[in-house]
Amino acid sequence: MRVSYEWLKELVDIPEDPQELVEEFTRTGTEVEGIERVGADLDHVVVGQVLSKEPHPNSDHMWLCKVGVGSQNVDADGNPEPLQIVCGAQNFEQDDKIVVAMIGAVLPGDFKIKKSKLRGVESCGMNCSERELGLGGDHQGIMILPPDAPVGMPFAEYRGLSDTVLDCEMTPNRPDCLSMTGVATEVSAIYDVDTHIELPAVQEEHGVGPQGEDDVHSMVDVRIDDPALCSRYTARVVRNVKIGPSPEWLAKRVTAAGARPINNVVDVTNYVMFLTGQPLHAFDLGKLEERDGKRHIVVRLAHEGEQLTTLDEQDRELTADMLVISDGDERAVALAGVMGGLNSDIDEGTVDVLLESACFESGNISRTSRSLGLMSEASIRFERQVDAGSCDMVSNVAAALFEECCGAEVVRGMVDVYPGKAEAKAIDLRCDRVRSICGAPIEDDFMAQRLRRLGCDVTAGEPGVLRVVAPTNRPDLTREIDLVEEIVRLWGEGDVEPTLPAARNHAGGLTVEQQRIRMIGKALRACGLCETTTYCFADPRDLARMGMAREVKGTAVKIIRPLVSEQSEMRRDLLPGLLRAVAYNKDHGVNNVHLYEIGRLLFGRANKSLPDEETFVAGVLSGAWDDDKWNRKQPQLDFFDGKGVVEELLDKLRIQKVRYRIPEAEKTAWLQPGLAAEVVVRGSVLGWVGNIHPRTLELYGIHDPVIGFELNVGTLLRLAQDRLPYQDVPTLPGVEMDLAIVVDESMTYEQLVQRITSAGGKLLRDVRLFDVYRDPVRVGEGKKSMAFSLTYRADDHTLTSKEVDKAHNRLLTKVLKSTGGEVRS
Amino acid sequence: MESLEQLRVQVLGKKGSLTSIMRMMGKIPPEERPAMGKMANTVRANVDEALKQRKLELTKEELNARMEAEASDVTLPGRRLSLGTQHLISQIREEIEDIFCSLGYIVADGPYVETTYYNFTALNAPENHPSRSAKDSFYIVDNAPEGKPPLQLGDSDVLLRTQTSGMQVHYMEENKPPIYMICPGTVFRPDTPDANHLPQFTQVEGLVVDEGITFGDLKGTLDYFCREIFGKDRATRYRPHFFPFTEPSCEVDVSCGVCHGEGCRFCKNVGWLEILGCGMVDPNVFEYVGIDPEKYTGFAFGIGVERVAALRYDLPDLRMLMEGDMRFLRQF
Repeated sequence: MRVSYEWLKELVDIPEDPQELVEEFTRTGTEVEGIERVGADLDHVVVGQVLSKEPHPNSDHMWLCKVGVGSQNVDADGNPEPLQIVCGAQNFEQDDKIVVAMIGAVLPGDFKIKKSKLRGVESCGMNCSERELGLGGDHQGIMILPPDAPVGMPFAEYRGLSDTVLDCEMTPNRPDCLSMTGVATEVSAIYDVDTHIELPAVQEEHGVGPQGEDDVHSMVDVRIDDPALCSRYTARVVRNVKIGPSPEWLAKRVTAAGARPINNVVDVTNYVMFLTGQPLHAFDLGKLEERDGKRHIVVRLAHEGEQLTTLDEQDRELTADMLVISDGDERAVALAGVMGGLNSDIDEGTVDVLLESACFESGNISRTSRSLGLMSEASIRFERQVDAGSCDMVSNVAAALFEECCGAEVVRGMVDVYPGKAEAKAIDLRCDRVRSICGAPIEDDFMAQRLRRLGCDVTAGEPGVLRVVAPTNRPDLTREIDLVEEIVRLWGEGDVEPTLPAARNHAGGLTVEQQRIRMIGKALRACGLCETTTYCFADPRDLARMGMAREVKGTAVKIIRPLVSEQSEMRRDLLPGLLRAVAYNKDHGVNNVHLYEIGRLLFGRANKSLPDEETFVAGVLSGAWDDDKWNRKQPQLDFFDGKGVVEELLDKLRIQKVRYRIPEAEKTAWLQPGLAAEVVVRGSVLGWVGNIHPRTLELYGIHDPVIGFELNVGTLLRLAQDRLPYQDVPTLPGVEMDLAIVVDESMTYEQLVQRITSAGGKLLRDVRLFDVYRDPVRVGEGKKSMAFSLTYRADDHTLTSKEVDKAHNRLLTKVLKSTGGEVRS
Repeated sequence: MESLEQLRVQVLGKKGSLTSIMRMMGKIPPEERPAMGKMANTVRANVDEALKQRKLELTKEELNARMEAEASDVTLPGRRLSLGTQHLISQIREEIEDIFCSLGYIVADGPYVETTYYNFTALNAPENHPSRSAKDSFYIVDNAPEGKPPLQLGDSDVLLRTQTSGMQVHYMEENKPPIYMICPGTVFRPDTPDANHLPQFTQVEGLVVDEGITFGDLKGTLDYFCREIFGKDRATRYRPHFFPFTEPSCEVDVSCGVCHGEGCRFCKNVGWLEILGCGMVDPNVFEYVGIDPEKYTGFAFGIGVERVAALRYDLPDLRMLMEGDMRFLRQF
């Protein structure tokens, strides 16, 4: 809403400095998005007088003029002389008062006036047409001002074009503020001052019929088919309008409000809308179908596919939920509340006007406007709800202006169909309640006074209670709490003393699960991984690229209108997003990538509106932990770095009995066979760790190995433990014995350790692998040597070498037997 | 050191010169023995002492030499085990969680996919509210659309939550007052990513419902929060605003940390930075969840975590938060 400061000043007393009002608006909830100084583009444009006019020596159609600009007279050398201006216009004479753009002026369209030479003659300014000044369409000649125009006066000041326009963003609950009277009322409540809103009244009403015995009802009737969509429709008729340009004051107001002056009839309807917030529509009565000597206005829903050409000359195809005005039952003449039809518009030949002042249902107008992509000053106001209670009053204001500005005769009476009339309801406002909700000592008198300023009818109810009837243009004031808001915002939210709630009988803090989720992040960061966030959206091709089985991942949660097709569903796996992040880093020259994400996956379910939502943690490693340094070479990361991270994480969560199982290759197609493991704890599959399959990496544009893991956070939380039982720290020394054993390639570390452990007896306390060695000659083809350091210890005495030898030899025999291996010599 | 040991053996060893002299004691006349013995012992003690002294000196020299050899350029970089870093948004989210936990709040979690009832209706948003339109929300395909009333706006009855406010309703349905709750989480809106917008971002919803909660309590709580998160020297400003689910509603600004309210490039000459929306819980919302609005009052607020991050670090482009660039992540 554009609020003209000059206009507002006429309606209510406001400070001289607009900035002061802006601050008060901000304090009380009217957001001012911009302050525009109107007339700034008319700096250096003044009233001038043609002192002489001679033909241009080198042109047969241009004139050489001396133009007096009073105290501003200055010639090309800066001496105080009338301006020499070359002018091509033909419509002026010596002594005419004209508009002069002097050097330094910047006219609309960023047209800079500079000293120039036209056909060899110096010109120090320009005589302006209306269009050059941005005032209208007339480009036939330069503007000629009345003889009394004071020479030298800035033109903006002369025309009263200096103004400040506040661009206000009104919140959706305040339709009243989409009008100058509404804003003036708001200002009166802010400053606790009176408004001076004076609305014009019709001077004389004319009867119709041979003896003038009839009123408008003999000319027009109105039928509303669906009262839910149109709570009121009023029609008035004015006759013999003289279509022409608007008087200057009217054009000025309409321009300030952001509309373009068109003609006096249209400008009156726009002006009254900006003034009161009630959109009006003027039909050319002569263009409406006449039947039985009358015009029949019907407010009805459009027929599916009905065509209407709106005033903007666009052909619109309507749907059956859009409200139209038709003249009779057939032809639509306006899209109700949005825009008129071209078939009934006001033009230069218009004589009689039917004026609509109506109230349409906000939701319907909003939908129509959205589905057609057609917004108008009218639809913006109807969307927010206009005041049905004042349709008649507004219609009268417009009729009075038609009389004044268009020379119209106002036909007596008004057709007023008002099916939606509602009784005003009183709201009981408990003053103590206001204070207790706000926590502020607001006095009863303040409440009553400011509500009155807002247009409420306030009377005393029970002791401590005010009976408040809100004005009809405030649909947002229906409950006590609505009034509380008005009071506290005017009283000053900034002045309410800040306090902290007692929070009695309530304890806060994180749950165990929330603390454990934080622990997951901490453990991964301690391992050197950086947390990232990727989009929860997914590319529908992601799972296929991974070769992930769709059936285990549920159905996709599909976005009906995605921004881009690559983000048209919700992710069912974290890996694709992380691989995109790896590719991003590699593409930007960052080779060492260690990322993790804790994120949610969405799995759609058949015949269920809501999907399953589960949280997972995933990580990717590529390159090395760091660049090579002066004192340390950094090996490239491999599978066991990834597995180490997973082991460390599970250890921090005190999850025990973890097994790493070789997965079925077809179920883990995104992993490189032989470098992939399922993480299993007591039968539950927690997730996987492994090298990402080179083929998958290729699809994401990655050319280096990437090790990844992904674990189900829900399962992690379920298996995690806060603490494990304490174990005695050994006080007696242990004895370490080495064992290097050659076994078949097919024997896993896990199998071998299991055999060693079960063969070790109770003295064996620790088994640590320290070397794996392969050599076709020394170890043999298809064989490997695994070297372990074994620790033997007893809790009650220091072992003798005899005891250790006995235990170790027994272990050796058993292990060799059970594995078919041999001791490496 | 070795030659010193050789010398000791030569003199004091079993076959050492002094030892052999001592052995010859028996051949010395008995009357001379005491004097001789005494002399021999003195010599022995002196030699021994001299050897010890020398040994100490040599040890010291040796240590000094070793340390000198080990001396290094201490300005060379250290050998680091680099810790990973936490994402900026999750750092700030945890910080916010900790601030409110210290005020006695619990942290709740809610679903990303909501029905229009929780995202709009029970939050008092009218059926035709523009925020429901498909332009402002990501609707998703409803796998069970049967038997639902026709929609006035939007594409289906199910959507990616556009705000965490729906958790107010869920939480009040499942818990009785007193309620002191925050709900951090990801929300979604169809904004094409650019320097200032992301289609996916993070909000922290807050809700308090208790007896005697006032607008002053709302202010006190959010003043505390703003000072904890932005610094003790920051001022706040409450501008009345409109939200369907709170009344009175306001937007909260914090004074610009660069110019402290004077106006500068960072705050676009306003002196204030908008950081959150809040208000007293609208009685209509209480009615949806069956809480007596005469007995209980409450307040709610919504904080944009990316907004806090952008203000704190003057981030030039929010998209950096989603790229996973190690050079960006490592900074925080």
